[in-house]
Amino acid sequence: MNSEQAAIKQAAKDFVAKNIIPHAAEYDKSGEFHGYLLEAAKPSKIFAMAVPKEYGGLGYSPLTQALVLEEWGYGCCAMATTLGASILSMESVLIAGNDDQKRRYCKPMLTAGIGAFALTEPAAGSDAGAGEATAVKSGDDYILNGPKCWITNGGVAAVLVVFAATDVAKGAKGLSAFIVEPTMPGFIMGDREEKLGLRSSNTVYFMMKDLRVPAANLIGKEGDGMRIAMETLDVARPTIGALAVGLAQRCLDECVKHLHQRYPAKTYPGETLQFELADMAIQIEGARQAQHHVMRLREANKPFSTESAIAKTLGTASAMNVTTQAMRLMGSHAYTSEFGKFMRDAKVMQIYEGTNQIQRLVIARSVLAPPKVAAPAMKVGAK
Amino acid sequence: MTYYLTKAQEALGQRAHAFADEFLDPIAAELDRGLVFPKSLIGQLAAQDFLGLAAPEQSGVDGAGFVGHVEVIQALSRSCPAIASIVNNHALAVYAIAYWGSEAQKKQYLPALIKGEKLGAVAIQETGPFLGVGGDALLATRQGGGFVLNGTKAFVRNAGAADVYLVFGIIRPEPDNTRLTCFIVDAGTSGLAVGPRLDTMGLKACPVAHLTFKSVAVAEAGVMGSEHNASGMASQILSAGAVAEGAQTVGIARAAAEHAADYAKHRVQFRHPIARLQAIQTLLAEIVSDSHVAWLGVQHAARLIEDNAPFEPEAAMVKLFLGRFGSKMLVDAIQIEGGMGICEVVPKHISGALPLARMFRDIAGTTLLDAPDDFPEKIIAAGIA
Repeated sequence: MNSEQAAIKQAAKDFVAKNIIPHAAEYDKSGEFHGYLLEAAKPSKIFAMAVPKEYGGLGYSPLTQALVLEEWGYGCCAMATTLGASILSMESVLIAGNDDQKRRYCKPMLTAGIGAFALTEPAAGSDAGAGEATAVKSGDDYILNGPKCWITNGGVAAVLVVFAATDVAKGAKGLSAFIVEPTMPGFIMGDREEKLGLRSSNTVYFMMKDLRVPAANLIGKEGDGMRIAMETLDVARPTIGALAVGLAQRCLDECVKHLHQRYPAKTYPGETLQFELADMAIQIEGARQAQHHVMRLREANKPFSTESAIAKTLGTASAMNVTTQAMRLMGSHAYTSEFGKFMRDAKVMQIYEGTNQIQRLVIARSVLAPPKVAAPAMKVGAK
Repeated sequence: MTYYLTKAQEALGQRAHAFADEFLDPIAAELDRGLVFPKSLIGQLAAQDFLGLAAPEQSGVDGAGFVGHVEVIQALSRSCPAIASIVNNHALAVYAIAYWGSEAQKKQYLPALIKGEKLGAVAIQETGPFLGVGGDALLATRQGGGFVLNGTKAFVRNAGAADVYLVFGIIRPEPDNTRLTCFIVDAGTSGLAVGPRLDTMGLKACPVAHLTFKSVAVAEAGVMGSEHNASGMASQILSAGAVAEGAQTVGIARAAAEHAADYAKHRVQFRHPIARLQAIQTLLAEIVSDSHVAWLGVQHAARLIEDNAPFEPEAAMVKLFLGRFGSKMLVDAIQIEGGMGICEVVPKHISGALPLARMFRDIAGTTLLDAPDDFPEKIIAAGIA
């Protein structure tokens, strides 16, 4: 971490302490969207931290973004998800969009507007290519029809990246990506979901009924959709790892704080408890390094797809383990406090942005791939 | 395979299962809002003989003791683990009075507790590092022939709803002042106040609150067992509680596995029901295996309790095992249902009940340690070293 990154991390920590931690429990309880946060974040332009400088954003490197996201995850993963999912949607445009599209999509983010990434449908969860949403060319427009569900930020976004089939017969290869605005006629907003965790993160179902989108909003070419979606998720997954690491670190810190309050120095708990705490720290640090490693690979323009899946899986699994274990150790103190939120939030993070099972498929594919350079045969028998 | 249960035990399990299906399933989601205590259910549970099984001689059910109790708890937990929590805490009071109570105490309390006319609760936990240590520890001083209690009992289940509390405290000043004494305190006793109901993550139908004692007078006859003899009693009660909580955890996990399996058979992805995928089968197999092994441990420990044999290491093993795998079973069941698994309210575009989010919040509360350093490992190690 260089001095500039250290300063950015500290600023994020201060922002979280002032604007996120004091309000997280209240919004978790109500499940209402934490709209106040956008206003509070406006002066810092943090919602544009991933927007390249040429488009007026802060242009933070992937690692710097991860440092900020970990701090936000430390405060509240529901609120951090709003930021993370907005950046995720923008990545699709940055990966495959043209200059005009990038400029248009990034613009709301300069003033804490947010984006949403709409891929999932009732029939297309892990099987992302099985959707029924269609986009039919009509003159200079595309006409979009079909449902989208589990869309993070979907009800509060200024702009969305929506995936729909331009060629149904081709399945996943017939998918295309469009920039959609929720004000366009034919965009029918559904209900906000009541979730177990990340409760104040806005998650909605919406319907598109003859939604007319200018052809200029097609990102890349027809049929590029699945590639764009997968590349976007590759970029986004380690950021979920960053949120999860922040969450797990928060749990460990709260657990230790509780133990210090409960045990005066002389009665410091025994090794069983000490080792439990050490195991939490091991998982957190391992997940943090895995996630920073992906960011460095990205910055060095090296392949990072497998490492990205590892960072998401390890991060969210660690968060689940650490929150569960901390809950058990703190017992009724945790069960009757805001602490339950951490455990509920961690559970959702194992599911969204590609379940940890899908991540394992990605990882296993790479593990099972034939080695590029044949390893020397093992010698068997006498020296 | 129930050949190793007595007819009475088997019948209890089946009756509890049917009771849960008929009476608990329809109200479990509403009870999860935690707004009302389901008082009318207590009489219904008593009418089914579910409230006295921890006191086999007095329960009125021939041939069914703690083994029958865990059958009932397991079955109720499939539908509404919070009701099982209420029954659990009540049953621990029944268990303790049957085990340590004087004839007069048994006569005064057991019939009413078993008939559901009174609800019981045990109050052991405190917020200090150890019982009796800390600013709000529950302390008793002698006055006349009896005692006066001052202090706080923390996180008491059935608080406010119970009619009788078993309160553990330390008599001061005494030469041997680290040993606990158990006092039977009626809910209406002057100076006993129930604090505000605490907002629990799950098990919401079972109220949890702190009890504060301000000069609460208890007659000498209100001491259960003898003075200073209740440290082992508290430990044994918590161990019996761990066995019953084990049954609760297993019941939740089994119901969750069935729900997730049913979901997997109907959810089509990649052109087939996801139940065909090994990734899903593996998760289901692990939940079912872990809950099966845990259930064997629960039944074994329950048999030891019923036979009046030492059981605390075996209870601790159940607690250790489910500390590791309890919540994990719901973590994995939800994973199978994905987005649907995390729904607290069924979305309009979906049909069917989605109870796993509630069960996830519930199961987290059945595997808690009583204090951060109260590891079950200690009891197990003490038994072999």
